[in-house]
Amino acid sequence: MLDTLGNLALGFSVALSPPILFYAFVGCVVGTLVGVLPGVGPLAGISLLLPATFGLDATRAIVMLAGIYYGAMYGGSTTSILMRIPGEAASVMTCIDGYAMARKGRGGAALAIAAVGSYVAGTASVVGLMLLAPPLAAFALRFGPPEYLALLLLGLFVLAYMSSGSMLKSLAMASLGLLLGMVGIDQMSGYFRFAYGRVELGDGLGVVPVAVGLFGVAEILATAGLAMPPQVVKPRLRELLPSRSEWRESAAPIGRGTVLGFLIGILPGSAHIIASFVSYALEKRLSKRPEQFGQGAVAGLAGPESANNSATSGAMVPMLALGVPSGPIPAVMLAAMMVHGVSPGPMLIQQQPELFWGFVASMYVGNVVLLILNLPLVGLFVNILRVPYPYLYPAILVFSMLGVYAVNGSVVDVWIMLVMGVLGWVLRKLDFETAPVVLGLVLAPMIELSLRQSLAMSDGDYAIFVSRPIAAVLLGAGLLLVLLNLISFVRRGLDWRARLALAEKGEETS
Amino acid sequence: MTAHRLVAIVLALALAWPLAAAAQEPYPSRPITVVAPFPPGGVADLTARPVAAAMEKVLKSPVAVVNKTGAAGAVGMQFVATSKPDGYTLLLALSSISIIPEADKIFDRQPAFTVDQFVPIALISADPTILVVRAESPWKTAGELIDDARKRPGQISYSSSGIYGTLHMAMELLSHAAGIKLRHVPHAGAGPALTAILGGHVDALASGPAVVLPHIKSGKLRALAGWGDKRVAALPEIPTFKELGYSDAEFYIWAGLFAPRGTPEPVLARLREATRAAVAEPEFKSAMDKLQTPIAFKQGQEFQTFFDADARRLAAGVRKVGRVEDKK
Amino acid sequence: MTAERVSGVALALLALAVLEECWRLGLPRGTLATPGPAYMPTVLALALLVAGVLVAALGRNAATLGDAGWREWRHTLAILATCVFVALALERLGYRLTMSLACAFLLAVVERKGLVPALLFSAGLAAGTYYLFDTLLRVQLPRGPFGL
Repeated sequence: MLDTLGNLALGFSVALSPPILFYAFVGCVVGTLVGVLPGVGPLAGISLLLPATFGLDATRAIVMLAGIYYGAMYGGSTTSILMRIPGEAASVMTCIDGYAMARKGRGGAALAIAAVGSYVAGTASVVGLMLLAPPLAAFALRFGPPEYLALLLLGLFVLAYMSSGSMLKSLAMASLGLLLGMVGIDQMSGYFRFAYGRVELGDGLGVVPVAVGLFGVAEILATAGLAMPPQVVKPRLRELLPSRSEWRESAAPIGRGTVLGFLIGILPGSAHIIASFVSYALEKRLSKRPEQFGQGAVAGLAGPESANNSATSGAMVPMLALGVPSGPIPAVMLAAMMVHGVSPGPMLIQQQPELFWGFVASMYVGNVVLLILNLPLVGLFVNILRVPYPYLYPAILVFSMLGVYAVNGSVVDVWIMLVMGVLGWVLRKLDFETAPVVLGLVLAPMIELSLRQSLAMSDGDYAIFVSRPIAAVLLGAGLLLVLLNLISFVRRGLDWRARLALAEKGEETS
Repeated sequence: MTAHRLVAIVLALALAWPLAAAAQEPYPSRPITVVAPFPPGGVADLTARPVAAAMEKVLKSPVAVVNKTGAAGAVGMQFVATSKPDGYTLLLALSSISIIPEADKIFDRQPAFTVDQFVPIALISADPTILVVRAESPWKTAGELIDDARKRPGQISYSSSGIYGTLHMAMELLSHAAGIKLRHVPHAGAGPALTAILGGHVDALASGPAVVLPHIKSGKLRALAGWGDKRVAALPEIPTFKELGYSDAEFYIWAGLFAPRGTPEPVLARLREATRAAVAEPEFKSAMDKLQTPIAFKQGQEFQTFFDADARRLAAGVRKVGRVEDKK
Repeated sequence: MTAERVSGVALALLALAVLEECWRLGLPRGTLATPGPAYMPTVLALALLVAGVLVAALGRNAATLGDAGWREWRHTLAILATCVFVALALERLGYRLTMSLACAFLLAVVERKGLVPALLFSAGLAAGTYYLFDTLLRVQLPRGPFGL
């Protein structure tokens, strides 16, 4: 314990020195900006600014890049809440309840809860990173393809909890999303699937164009033409902050989201969006009023927002403790370290204590900076809603198309976004949910790859899923959950029939 | 001379002057774009940036690196293959440039591009690949691994960055040279491939030395042999497969600069001169040192020979692998 | 002809199209022990087929297609056409020109705001976002003729 405090003191002395503070601040500001812009997410932001870090020393470079990373998670909720456009892929869940809250005039409150939740999650997860990095990283490494498959199947199961409407229709949408995820090069055999000769589709449809299209563009197509533009209740100044009951409602979801996001973030290969989906489903399951989800439930906003922030710190655990990238963003940060001559690896924490502890301390500082940046800006952002809608939506379209184009410099992405926009518009009209499509799109390639990798590892033997302890436990848990839900489903069905029978009897006798 | 004719002559001169001036303008007169077909942080990207910076110094004109990612590099490579051959769009390609068109051919696809659409400028670096296994595994030398593989064909697993990728082809070349059969578990990139072996989910990995060196030093992984012509400088006690008798197992993850075919000769000459000067720049040298990537500069006929030999080896390798699904 | 019937049938048709595509592309299906590239798409297409059929058959919602409120389709079509124009023209006319034209069209023609405010707003938005991305974030945006 004393060691940690001593190291932390060292870290803070590094982090609070003016140059490091400056770069952390720059990173946070750029990150927020990048997060607010639809489509452009932290990966795009970090990639774009990587060259700018080559002239700096390792600590400054890492601090700035990390600032962009978690800053983007703060900023991503802004457009999601105010305009139902995901600022980046992980903010898709915020679009649902966050926007509903904004429609009810609680937009300021939503932004504030998102900011505070992100702060709590960001800070608490850095504590986890600081104290538990090496053992957690070692645990995370034991997740191989079979364990992944078990986990992802559990994630698929989560889909059942996302529907506020008809479960059958959500499952249909999930199947559609899963099928869309099959576009691209098959990594196990080299075949191009459903790409029709377009090399740009080799990596699949891309979650960014699909999410921005299904949520953002569809929203504009649906509401821009209405005789009355969407009635957004413009809040008064007093109403900008959450009420006491809203704070109370958000406390537990923030806590749960933090832990959940951190654990999911540690696993190499997981995506932030999965953390927010699972958090949403968990909150809905645990809520005493699940029917509120989709209409502006505070828990449906607080949980996912916290989850995707703590997933950021989680993703850095394998990177710092083992020198292993858990995703494309940590890979860029590792490269930044290598370029500066810092060789990432299991000895990093011992060999470069100033780097590690300075970095950890800068994350604490960065989260505070972001909280201070975001809270007062709530009032500013909410005023965006006052811009007359006929001027606002062309601007939103411009930003969306620009953001989606900027990620890969590819017009094909813009086309995908437009097609998905039309699809999302039609689905809204026909009363289908669009969130399961995005989840399916993300999960399908991962599920397929994990399944086929596991079978390649075991040479076709399905026993690998039960002979490995973690996989077996996860599959068992999943099976248990399915059974429990089937039972309650059946029981509800029986109840319904019994009630109907009683009602009929009642009608007969009366 | 009539006034009309005078005016005509003056106008003609006025119009022709800028054209003549443009024709005489030395290359480069605009910023040059080097396309790195891989995501930022990868080998191509990390090599491209110091090269671009050094060339900028030598050419005294901005040289920018643009990442055009997708389809294991095919998107970026196709982009340069079809762009104007005026010397302002260049490609920093990895050895996969020879692999991708072959892979397209065996699937009866229209190749995204062909190697003939490029003209090589220079080879920058050639990372020899090395074979690593986990420290707890029973094989202490490459010979032991190969013997074990002969006894238990298809039981020893290895991860790779993707089918027909560089890490896969390296292993395939070894398998053919040594006559063994290994079990391939493709992953989505070099990062996940490394994670897989560190977690003990596969037995072996072919990798560029820079990423695995820290793990070898910390004792998690053990290097057995290398695919290069010479031993890796950082691991002098590790033999090459050539020394062990498998001379066909030669593989480098090399990075080279290419231009679209049709780029005028004077421009090419200038670029070759510039790259020769660029790799001699001290900043470039120190950048590559930090990345622990040895500079292996080759140009002109030397590069052409190296490239052709490498392309032939890889194409043959890809054809031997064939369509994986057909073998099941 | 309820909305649910139509959408269910549409989904089922899509699933059948995917199955046909798998067969046409000649993707090998492999076996249960070694799934091929067509394995998962086939399974998912079958799942979508079942889901589509069930939605069509069990759709309790009696709303017809018309009830969904398609009145604003002309407006939506105009917006969509503008976006298609942007996608087509972005790399040919360059970013600033394309966006100014698109935005001005939306404001002046579709929303019937005055021509002058529309042009000012559009040009300003295009130039401002170009500056933000090209100069500050260093994203290369396409330049068209006249270097725009």
